[in-house]
Amino acid sequence: MSMAHTPSRFNSPLTSHCQNCSLSALCLPIALADEDINKLDQIIERKKPLKKGEFLFRQGDTFNSVYAVRSGTLKTFNITSYGEEQITGFYCPSELVGLSGIDSNKYPVSAKALETTTVCEIPFTHLEDLSVQIPSLRHQLFRIMSRKISDDQQMMVLLGKKNADEKVASFLLNLSNRFKIRGYSASSFRLSMSRGEIGNYLGLAVETVSRVITRFQKSELIHVDGKEIEILNFPEMQKLIGVASDCGKIARI
Amino acid sequence: MIWDSSLIGKYDLSGPRYTSYPTAPQFDSTISKIALIDKMLMPSEKPLSLYFHIPFCAHLCYYCACNKIVTKQYDKGVEYVELLGEEMRLRSLMLDHTRKVTQLHFGGGTPTFLTEELIQSLFNGIKQHFNLINDGTQDYSIEIDPREITYSKLKLLTEMGINRISIGVQDFDSKVQEAIHRIQPIKMVADLIGDARKLNIKSINFDLIYGLPYQSMEGFRATLADVVALSPERISLFNYAHLPERFRSQRRILDESLPAPSMKLDLLKMSIESLISAGYEYIGMDHFAKPSDSLAKAQKQGRLQRNFQGYTTHAGTDLIAFGVSAISDLSGTYMQNYTDLSHYRSSIEKGQLAIAKGYISDVDDRIRHQIIMTLIAQFELNTVLIEQKYNISFFEYFAEEVDNLKPMIKDGMVEIDSCGMQTTIKVTERGRLLIRCICMVFDKYLSGTIKYSKVI
Repeated sequence: MSMAHTPSRFNSPLTSHCQNCSLSALCLPIALADEDINKLDQIIERKKPLKKGEFLFRQGDTFNSVYAVRSGTLKTFNITSYGEEQITGFYCPSELVGLSGIDSNKYPVSAKALETTTVCEIPFTHLEDLSVQIPSLRHQLFRIMSRKISDDQQMMVLLGKKNADEKVASFLLNLSNRFKIRGYSASSFRLSMSRGEIGNYLGLAVETVSRVITRFQKSELIHVDGKEIEILNFPEMQKLIGVASDCGKIARI
Repeated sequence: MIWDSSLIGKYDLSGPRYTSYPTAPQFDSTISKIALIDKMLMPSEKPLSLYFHIPFCAHLCYYCACNKIVTKQYDKGVEYVELLGEEMRLRSLMLDHTRKVTQLHFGGGTPTFLTEELIQSLFNGIKQHFNLINDGTQDYSIEIDPREITYSKLKLLTEMGINRISIGVQDFDSKVQEAIHRIQPIKMVADLIGDARKLNIKSINFDLIYGLPYQSMEGFRATLADVVALSPERISLFNYAHLPERFRSQRRILDESLPAPSMKLDLLKMSIESLISAGYEYIGMDHFAKPSDSLAKAQKQGRLQRNFQGYTTHAGTDLIAFGVSAISDLSGTYMQNYTDLSHYRSSIEKGQLAIAKGYISDVDDRIRHQIIMTLIAQFELNTVLIEQKYNISFFEYFAEEVDNLKPMIKDGMVEIDSCGMQTTIKVTERGRLLIRCICMVFDKYLSGTIKYSKVI
């Protein structure tokens, strides 16, 4: 009798990406336990992919869910009273978007795909209920929110006090660190946002962003090939933003 | 260790072997799986100890009380190794992949039931999901049935990092071997040891059993002499517990073929004396080791530990166990898999861990755990360490237990020494053989309903 089986007979919805997700403490317990309350598929909806330029939600929409990015990148932005777009953040795989809607029950920002992007949708009421049952999930949520507050504080310092070189270096190192935390390469990654979007986010003119990037490349801090970035000299980059290279930490934006 | 017949008569009690505390009867099938998995998600940097249960056996040994599936269909291993692979994948999603695997053990059943191809495939899975160290400091071991091993399979195992083996010897007497349905002439074992030494296996353990059918003093003395000549580093000497009403295969062993209780004691006494006079040290509960072995050294240095695999020198690991009936231990959160293959299979296929039962220790459990495991491993307990760690007053918290120790103190099994600020509970040479009874004093859950093997 042939006992050959393909791995497909295993029906776990969990992939290796789930391990690095901000909300791993939500999905892992539900998927790994056989309790019939809280079936993962009922709680988490894997939405169909968003195409580049499609909205996940719009500023002012009623807040129901938070979203974990599975693949691709999102940006969030406000429209100012002058009708201008102000980017408030970029979201990479395994990061959580939409938390800022909890307070007012409306999303205060819009979220739009920068490339083909897939997300898991988690209805917030379920998240609240489950965080009572799963202390490690509660802990993870508090950490995500705390991280977000701390990131925003760093961003204020960055916007107010730093020059263009420092801003761009911080931005690149921040992305690098976020990829590293999720198990991707820290030294080479793809920028899915345009130079204009980076400038908008950092409060710099697009020409300035391009000039700084060119200068970094000339001084062999980074190598740039279109949207592909390779960080060549971490210690110098860290020195640039005022982080001692031996402390091993990378400033977050 | 001192043999004291009057004490052994008086304290002839049944008791657990304390490979965990609380012991397995406390594990609860109604516990919330989510609560257990929540514990698994707590970040930890402890090294890992992995256990794999391979339930298949090609032969039925009549004395066996293990969880096993007797079959000659070696291809049953194919599906099982796939299930283990998926279980590892699911489990590893919750673990930091950089945690070092300092201990690895294959138990059974008969782990060497797996073909070389399957052993290779199982190790590929392990290496994919876990950080094996293979730098010489690892303790990676496997239980070996001398009838189910070849030189090339053993060589493959050593190439995968296995550096310890445990051989089921039981008894070399051919009449006994026939009665337990396990025929393995001494040459078979001697050849295996020769192969193992050639392959630089650093430690060999023998499992022996006393109380088997047709065992005689002369016969077992001869077995022990052969054992000593083969010179394993460690020896485990287990009592055969005859419970035919619980274990079907034991019904093939006739009651009248078994040695009488008094003779079993004589067999035990003779075995202990022979092994000690041959230079082995009594480590504690059923275990002996050469003075040069790491267990004996660790005991002298106060580093010896106890876990599901018995005694160990690796402190503070999280035990993650795979396969049917396997028990994991994450700092006092215990999880046992389904004991039957069909439940195990259907869980893993659905993408769920196959947890049947579990237990989450509270602080009181952890205090008692530490006391019991320290007494078993070291035969003494510095009460001040417990007081400092858990912020309790030992003699108030355990007033009743200390009271229950009094008859044992009077009988010279236990001493309580005060020296300056230190108060130490010591198990005397006379008490060592009865360590289970002493530990039972600190076991909150003991009731008359659970049947354990005889204390010695």
